[in-house]
Amino acid sequence: MTSPLACSSWTLSSGLLIFFFFLFSLSLLRAEGVPMSINLSDFPAASVQDVVVPVPSEIFGVLDQLGNPNWRAQLRLRKTQTPDDRAQVALLLGSVIAEGFIAVEAEDAERVKELGRDVLTLADAINVRKSVITRSKSIIDKANHRDWHGVRVEFDGALQDVRAAMDEMNDEDLAQLVSLGGWLRGTDALTAIVDEHYTPSGAELLHQPELVRYFDRCINRMSPRLRKNPLVVRIHSILSQIAPIIDGKKQDIPREQIKKIHSLTDDVVQKINDIS
Amino acid sequence: MIFLELFSSKKTVFSYHPSSLKQRVALCLVAIAFMSTVHASVDDALAFAYEASLPYAKQYAFRKDAWGGDLGVKEKKAVMAQLFKGNDYWFIMASDVKNAKVSVHLYDALGKLAESEAWQRTHDKKHCASAGSHIIPEKTGTYFAIVEVLKSPEERTPWALVYGYKDFKEKDLKASK
Repeated sequence: MTSPLACSSWTLSSGLLIFFFFLFSLSLLRAEGVPMSINLSDFPAASVQDVVVPVPSEIFGVLDQLGNPNWRAQLRLRKTQTPDDRAQVALLLGSVIAEGFIAVEAEDAERVKELGRDVLTLADAINVRKSVITRSKSIIDKANHRDWHGVRVEFDGALQDVRAAMDEMNDEDLAQLVSLGGWLRGTDALTAIVDEHYTPSGAELLHQPELVRYFDRCINRMSPRLRKNPLVVRIHSILSQIAPIIDGKKQDIPREQIKKIHSLTDDVVQKINDIS
Repeated sequence: MIFLELFSSKKTVFSYHPSSLKQRVALCLVAIAFMSTVHASVDDALAFAYEASLPYAKQYAFRKDAWGGDLGVKEKKAVMAQLFKGNDYWFIMASDVKNAKVSVHLYDALGKLAESEAWQRTHDKKHCASAGSHIIPEKTGTYFAIVEVLKSPEERTPWALVYGYKDFKEKDLKASK
């Protein structure tokens, strides 16, 4: 005679068996029709769409997980001046927005407010003031309330609004320079932070080969006049030096190479900020 | 209607203005409602992509930048994205063609399937189709979203793809597994 206990344990094990079979079937169903691997060479250039430049908060969110870096030491405290050259203004605007993220990380409300105002001034110099008036005000309001997440959202929004306004004015080249300026300043700070407390996982954040190629393509597509701009020429050269460092098949980027990227980006960010 | 002016069939990566996701969805849907003749288009597909991403909008920040175009049935396109280890992403694709079925799947730079989950839906009442793919990247680098029109009554099916991100938390990984 089967005891009730034995019966329930049989029912339990057969139930579990059915359950696992169901899960297994589900996994097969999910896999059905979805190749586990693809040959990327089956996608010629014409059928590949370009990468979208990540917004700063995509990267700074990850940096939050790197412990507690000394963000205050990364802040550039000099007063922002407005250059005459529109290309430099665009690069500086991107750089200032990235600086805003660093000031948020450093929780420096006064610096955040200054940078919020700088965004407006620089946007004005390239005729996209209207697109960032509300953002600039929100940055200052949220910094007053030490709403750091809110400030990040506004800086991200300012970057995207400025770019959209420039695209509308058919100033796509300048819009790319805004993104490039932000990426350079972000990379400058990121390499300093990673170098300070080097870990392979921190260095891995610089593994952005397609992004570097994308910026390189953008510069190649710019008008001849912009391509000859001394700052753009310098940046183009820097990208060609950074590309092989982060393009390797190995995910780990050694500390010396981090230092090299930092030295290259730090130098060009200083030039972007330099009004002579 | 701002967004209608911003898209052209030639432009495959685009961006537009309204700030919150709900605002964006509302603007797009109102615009669609006022269209006298309903032609399938990339901007309609984009409106549905944002609508399909609404369930995730509380946790994920969806980018204003999006990709789009049109595809024939069984035609695929690769969309490149720079993803960071430490973030958690949802890619949402949609089309406004009635009775269509679309899919999006994420692969790493070596061509290996890298997503943790994916879904496809056909919405008969809304006359649209959508698909989603979720990834918590194990490595920072280039990833490929492979978009495909699985079936469609149209010769060319407009599509749009958006993505949202959030900081990755350990509990998210457990939940996704």
